[in-house]
Amino acid sequence: MSEQTKPATGLETVRLTKSFGGVRAVDEATIAFRDGQINALIGPNGSGKTTFFNCVTGMIKPESGSVLFRGKEITGHPPHRIARGGIGRSFQLCRIFPRMTLLENLLVAVRPTGLRQLLAPSREAGAIERARGLLVRVGLDHLENAEAGAISYGQQKLLELAGVLMSDPDTIMLDEPAGGVNPSLIGRIGSLVRELNAEGKTFLIVEHNMEMVMSLSDHVVVFDRGRPIAEGAPSVVQEDPRVLEAYLGV
Amino acid sequence: MRNASDTEERVGGGVDAPRAGGGFTLPGWSRPAGLAVAVALVLLFPELVPNAYVLSAGVIVASYACTATAWSFMGGFTGYVSLGHAAFFGLGAYGTGILIRDLSLQPFLAWLLSGLIVLVITIPIGIAALRVRGASFVIVSISFVLILLLVFQAWEDFTGGANGLNVPRPFADLYRPDHHRIFFYLFVALLAVMLLTWWVVDRSRFGAGLKAIREDEDKAEALGVPTRDYKLAAYLISATFTAWAGGMYALWFGDLDPIFQFSILLGAYMVLMALLGGVRHLLGPLVGAVVVGTALEYFKLEYGDTQLHLVFTAVLLGVVVLFMPDGVIPAAGALLRRLGPQQSSIREITAEELLERNRAAAAVGGDADGRGGSGVDGSRDGEEDGR
Repeated sequence: MSEQTKPATGLETVRLTKSFGGVRAVDEATIAFRDGQINALIGPNGSGKTTFFNCVTGMIKPESGSVLFRGKEITGHPPHRIARGGIGRSFQLCRIFPRMTLLENLLVAVRPTGLRQLLAPSREAGAIERARGLLVRVGLDHLENAEAGAISYGQQKLLELAGVLMSDPDTIMLDEPAGGVNPSLIGRIGSLVRELNAEGKTFLIVEHNMEMVMSLSDHVVVFDRGRPIAEGAPSVVQEDPRVLEAYLGV
Repeated sequence: MRNASDTEERVGGGVDAPRAGGGFTLPGWSRPAGLAVAVALVLLFPELVPNAYVLSAGVIVASYACTATAWSFMGGFTGYVSLGHAAFFGLGAYGTGILIRDLSLQPFLAWLLSGLIVLVITIPIGIAALRVRGASFVIVSISFVLILLLVFQAWEDFTGGANGLNVPRPFADLYRPDHHRIFFYLFVALLAVMLLTWWVVDRSRFGAGLKAIREDEDKAEALGVPTRDYKLAAYLISATFTAWAGGMYALWFGDLDPIFQFSILLGAYMVLMALLGGVRHLLGPLVGAVVVGTALEYFKLEYGDTQLHLVFTAVLLGVVVLFMPDGVIPAAGALLRRLGPQQSSIREITAEELLERNRAAAAVGGDADGRGGSGVDGSRDGEEDGR
């Protein structure tokens, strides 16, 4: 967490709603996430977490309500604009460019401005140096010329994270970073998140691995049936009867 | 092209050293030298051919090379397969003809202008067509060429309808062989411009974004690539170049008919040629056009009286899809690598070693055989990792 005692609100949704057929996947969800924190979004399967993610990042358009980033309305903006505005995201089932090398995967995230930069070589020294730095950081630098489709799933998760970092976001949204990876890698991803948070990045993490959520996050929001039912520090949320009910059905 | 054993090797043992495919392992001078020979052969082609017929076939192949390369700006870079690119070919051809007829423009000015008109027309079409992906995009692209076919057949006052449109020749006083020769070079020049553009785009950030779209469009968008604008730009480049190829064809052939200019078959040839050559390589569509174009002309010459030439074309397509799914160029590259010394996929083992192993296997029992085999694999992978 940053040194400020009361960090400013970063990402915020107001009565955000999205239905599929008759089912309200996200139902008037009003949530505010503070800048500089590691926020977690938890909830039973089908509670609308991923839909919420997709609405925030512009992958699907919400029916009503709004998404604000640092006070500015970003509702319904195309995903690339939201990404360029400083919100990076990973996908639930890790997505990389399988037939590109690791280095090329990262170079995609370089943003050209203007026609001259658009046609400038993608393998430009500065960008390559930055990409290599990120590969070192996630421990994949020895594979920079490997095809991304040939590395293991866990390594692809790290690559995806490096790609998100390459696009230099202030806020990083991770959809199940611990899903389908072995425990030692979960630890590695956790410590990376902590490090990056210490450098000022804000996180919003959807995760089912409670151990990771409870040890990592500053703030937990519990989602059920498309809306938040409880939020607070991990220890507080854990004891909340509404949370126990949603999870255990008691 | 990677094959199954390649992949296994990478995933199984080569976690530390899998290398990306692509790139020949030939000596450094062989590439520019090969290219120089190829360019010289192309430029000398009109002088080397025995008669005007072969020369005219060469012009057709050159025009195919232009269209396949133009198609590849969209189909190759972004993976959006358009079966209706004949639409832009036809529009470019008719545009050139009509501008000459109605405005009496200088033929090559009409040609240039026609391509630019197609560029403008393609903006709204691209915006509409690119709202869909995958199979839907293929269908939309086909419907566009079918609509144009009907329009150009029915609008007789403007297009000449089924009677066709006569395009006056730009070099009226030339004999046929000279005419062919000039147009062969004109097509080659147009192709050179396209290849240069392809090369610039391929290595650029724009190109990296397009290739990212081909692999995973949503992911590219999430990383900040404005996918819609990129796709539209690629579509416009592709359409304009296709139109210029069409306009050049109009000036060369001199006679346009909606049935041939707006034909699905022509669009399908572009796809076939580009895929056959390999869309990931600069010269892929060109090589594909030379192979398919030459084959088409040959089949037509040999079996042209019947529909048999289409059967042979289909067989060719089948062979490529079955055995070279990434195209001829990557397949040839893989073959060269396999013939090279360092990456033999054959596990070399002497007769003594084999005998030794069989003895050991017999001593321990049937089960050990498999383990002995994988041990050999393991040591080999270890060597690879060390490299």
